[in-house]
Amino acid sequence: MPRPTPIDAYPTKTSDLQIDTEDILQEQIPPDGGGRVLHKNAHLQFLVRNLAQGFPARYMSQDASQPWLMFWTLQAFSTLQIAIDPDNKQRAIDTIMHWQHPDGGFGGGPGQAAHLLATYASVCSLAIAGRPGPEGGWDQINRKKLYSWYMSLKQPDGSFIVSNCGEVDVRGIYCLLVVAHLLDIVTPELIDGTAAFIASCQTYEGGFSSASHPHFVDNVLSACRPSLGEAHGGYTFCALASWVLLRPYIPLDDDAPRVDTRRLLRWLVHMQGSEIELGGFKGRTNKLVDGCYSWWVGGAFALLEALGVSGVPESARASDETPPPRPGTHAEDGWDDVDDSLFNRRALQEYILIAGQHPAGGLRDKPPKNADAYHTAYCISGLSAAQHRVCPSPAWRAEVRAVWKGEDGVRAAAFSEALSWTEEAGASHVVGSAANRVNATHPLFNLTITHTEGIMAHFYKQSVPKRVPKRSP
Amino acid sequence: MSAPTADDTTEHVFYAERPEWADVVPVVQYENIQPLAPIFYSPEYKDATDYFRGVVKIGEKSLRVLQLTETIIRLNPAHYSAWQYRYETLIAISAPLQPELVLSNTLTKASPKTYQVWHHRRLLLTALGDPAPELAFNEEVLKADAKNYHTWSHRQWLLAHFDQENLWADELPFIDGLLEDDVRNNSAWHHRFFVSFERGSNDDKDEAEAIVKRELAFAKEKIALAPNNSSAWNYLRGILDHSRVPYSTQAIFARQYIVDTVEPRGNDILDLENPPPSEGAELPCAAAIEFMADVHEASGNEGISEAVELWRSLADTHDTIRKRYWEYRIRNAVATTGKA
Ligand SMILES: [Zn+2]
Repeated sequence: MPRPTPIDAYPTKTSDLQIDTEDILQEQIPPDGGGRVLHKNAHLQFLVRNLAQGFPARYMSQDASQPWLMFWTLQAFSTLQIAIDPDNKQRAIDTIMHWQHPDGGFGGGPGQAAHLLATYASVCSLAIAGRPGPEGGWDQINRKKLYSWYMSLKQPDGSFIVSNCGEVDVRGIYCLLVVAHLLDIVTPELIDGTAAFIASCQTYEGGFSSASHPHFVDNVLSACRPSLGEAHGGYTFCALASWVLLRPYIPLDDDAPRVDTRRLLRWLVHMQGSEIELGGFKGRTNKLVDGCYSWWVGGAFALLEALGVSGVPESARASDETPPPRPGTHAEDGWDDVDDSLFNRRALQEYILIAGQHPAGGLRDKPPKNADAYHTAYCISGLSAAQHRVCPSPAWRAEVRAVWKGEDGVRAAAFSEALSWTEEAGASHVVGSAANRVNATHPLFNLTITHTEGIMAHFYKQSVPKRVPKRSP
Repeated sequence: MSAPTADDTTEHVFYAERPEWADVVPVVQYENIQPLAPIFYSPEYKDATDYFRGVVKIGEKSLRVLQLTETIIRLNPAHYSAWQYRYETLIAISAPLQPELVLSNTLTKASPKTYQVWHHRRLLLTALGDPAPELAFNEEVLKADAKNYHTWSHRQWLLAHFDQENLWADELPFIDGLLEDDVRNNSAWHHRFFVSFERGSNDDKDEAEAIVKRELAFAKEKIALAPNNSSAWNYLRGILDHSRVPYSTQAIFARQYIVDTVEPRGNDILDLENPPPSEGAELPCAAAIEFMADVHEASGNEGISEAVELWRSLADTHDTIRKRYWEYRIRNAVATTGKA
C-alpha cells in the first residue's frame, strides 16, 4: 500500500477526513490489478436516460442551469464519440432556443433572465447540436443584442457581472470570452481592462480566486486588488483560459498585466493527489480529491503550453513539421520514457477509471457518492485531457492565417489563435485497452476540435484548411 | 409595512387556487415543444414558477411578488432570476431592507453553498450601509463549515468594501482561533494573507516590515507543529514572495525539516526564530526539501547540483507522483546554468 499522507502525530479535522478518504479510495482497487476499463455503455445509458426521459426531481435545484444539463450531456456524448441522431438534435436546438432572452443572451430556462454561464452552455450546446439555416439555431442567435447585453454587464475594473444585478466572478468572464470568440463578437471595447482583472485574481499560492475587489484612489483603479477567496481549481481553469484567450491582445509594454506562470505551475502540480489518493486532483490546498478537477486542473496543463510552459524539452518541441511517430503510443511498456507531460497522466486516468466510475453508470466526485451530469461530463473531459496532447501549433496557425479572407486585426487573431490548437499525433497515452480511448477536446472551449471549427468557420465566414487525417497509430 | 411570508408550516395552497392571484395568467415553461432533457418538477414548484413567468411577463413589482419569489427561492435557492426580480421589487416598492436581511439569515444558513444567497446579502448590506453585525453572522456560518468558499469571499468582500478599522480589528485573533482548531484549514490561511498583506490602505513601511516579521514567525511556529502541512508552507512562501525577501533567509529553519529523523533536543536554548520540528514530525518533509532546493537554485551555479540532488530525492522517493515536475525543474535549472 502506498504511503498515507503524513499527519505528524497531529490529527485535525482536515487530516481525519483525508485519512478516511484514502482508506475508501484504496478499497476501490481491484485485487487482481484489473478494473482499468471505461464502462462506455453504462455511461451512455446514463446519459440517454437523462436526455430522453429527463432528470429526476433532485435536479430541481438545477432548474436555473438547464443549459448546463444540456451541455454536460451533449459534450459527454461527443467526447465518448457518440453522434446524436437528427431528431434529437432538432429537439435540442428547439429547447435551447427557448432559453434565448428577448433582450439578448440566454437564461437558465425559458423566461429566466439572461446569464453569462447559461449563455456559454447554450451556445456550446448549439455548437454540438446546431447548424446554419432556418431552425438550425446558429442563425437565430441574436448576436447584436448579445453584444450590447455583454457591454451592459461590464464593470469599471474590467470584470463583468454574470447577470443584471448579479455577482462578478471569473467563471462568468471565461464564459463570456468563449462565446465572444466562437460567435465573432470580440472587440477591443469588450475586453478592455479584462486581462488586468484576471491577473489580479492570482493569489499568493499561484492559483486563482473567484474575483478581486477593486480599490480606487482618486477615481483611478489602484494596483492593489485583494483576491476574494483562496486559490481554487475551477476558478483557476477559468482565469487561465481567459488569460490565454486574451493574450493576443495584451500590449507588450512594461505596464501590461502579468501572470506568474512559475507559481501557477507549482500550484497546479501540487493539486494532484499522491498514490494513496490514486492520483486524482483536488481543487484547493488541503482539500480532498474530486473527479471534476480532472478537467479543471488536469485540463489546465494544456493551457500552460500556450504560455510556453511545457513538459516537452524545448529541443523536441514545436517542430513545424509533423512530429515523428513515437514508440509506445498504445503499448503499456515504455510509457514512462515517452510521457513528457508535467503531471502524472497515467495516475489521473487510473483515478477516473477506478474511483470516478459509478457501477450503475455515470461518473462521480469520489466513492461512495452518486453519479451526476456535471461529474460525468468533467470526468470524461478530464480523461480526455489525460489521454491526449492538444497544443497550439505555430505551423497550423500559419496555415489558418494564410487562407483568412479579410483584414488583419482582432478578428483574424481571434480566429487563427483559437483554431491553432492541434492534437499531436502519436502523443496519446491510453491506460487500459484501446477501447478506453475518448475524443480529444479543445483545451479552451471543452468542445471537440471538429465542433469548434464548424461553428467558428460559420460565424467568421471563413474556411478552415482540411486537417491531414491522423496517422493510424 | 411588512411582506407576507411564504410560511412553510401551514399547508401549501397552489397559486392557481388562490383567488388573490386570479388576475395573473400563469405561463408554462415550454409551449408547443417537447423539450429534450427536461427536469421532473414537484407540483408546488411548477405552479409557483408558472406564476413567476406570468408576473415577469407583465412586469408587476408588488408586495405579493415578494411572497411568490420567496416560495420559489425556498424550493430552489439557485433560482437567480427569482432573486434578481425580488431585489428589484424590494427597491421598486421601497420595502424595508432590515426584515429582508433577517429573512436572508435563515435562507443563507439553509443553503450556504449557493451563490445567490450570498450575493443577495451583498446587495442588501450595500444598500443598508451597516456592516457591523455581519462579521458575527459570517462567523456563525463558518462554524458549520469552516472552508465554505462563499462564506469566506463574502467576509473578504465585507472587509474590503467597507474598509472600516473596527471591522479589521479582530480578524487576526479570529483566524488564530480557527487555525488552533485546524491548522490545515487553507481558507483560514488565505484569510490571514488577505488581512496581513492585501489591505489596500496600508502604506506605512515600518509597519509593513513588522507585519512580515510577525507573519514569518507565525508561519514557522505552525510548520513546527505539523510540518507536512502544505497550507503553512505556501503561506511562508507567499510572505517571502510578496515582500521580496529571499528564501535563503529561512534556510536555517527549513534545513531542520529535510533530515530523516527528528533530532533529540539538547539543553541548548531554543532558537525562537527557527523552531524545530515537533516530536511527532514525519521527516523528511517534502515541502521543506522543495523549499531548500529553491534556496540552492537561487544561489546560482554551485547551488544547482545541490538543488538537483534534492529534486531527485523528491522525484524518486519523497514525492513520486510529481516525478515529471521535479524532472522538469532539474532540466530547467541545468539548462539555465548551461547558458550562463
Ligand atoms: Zn466535483
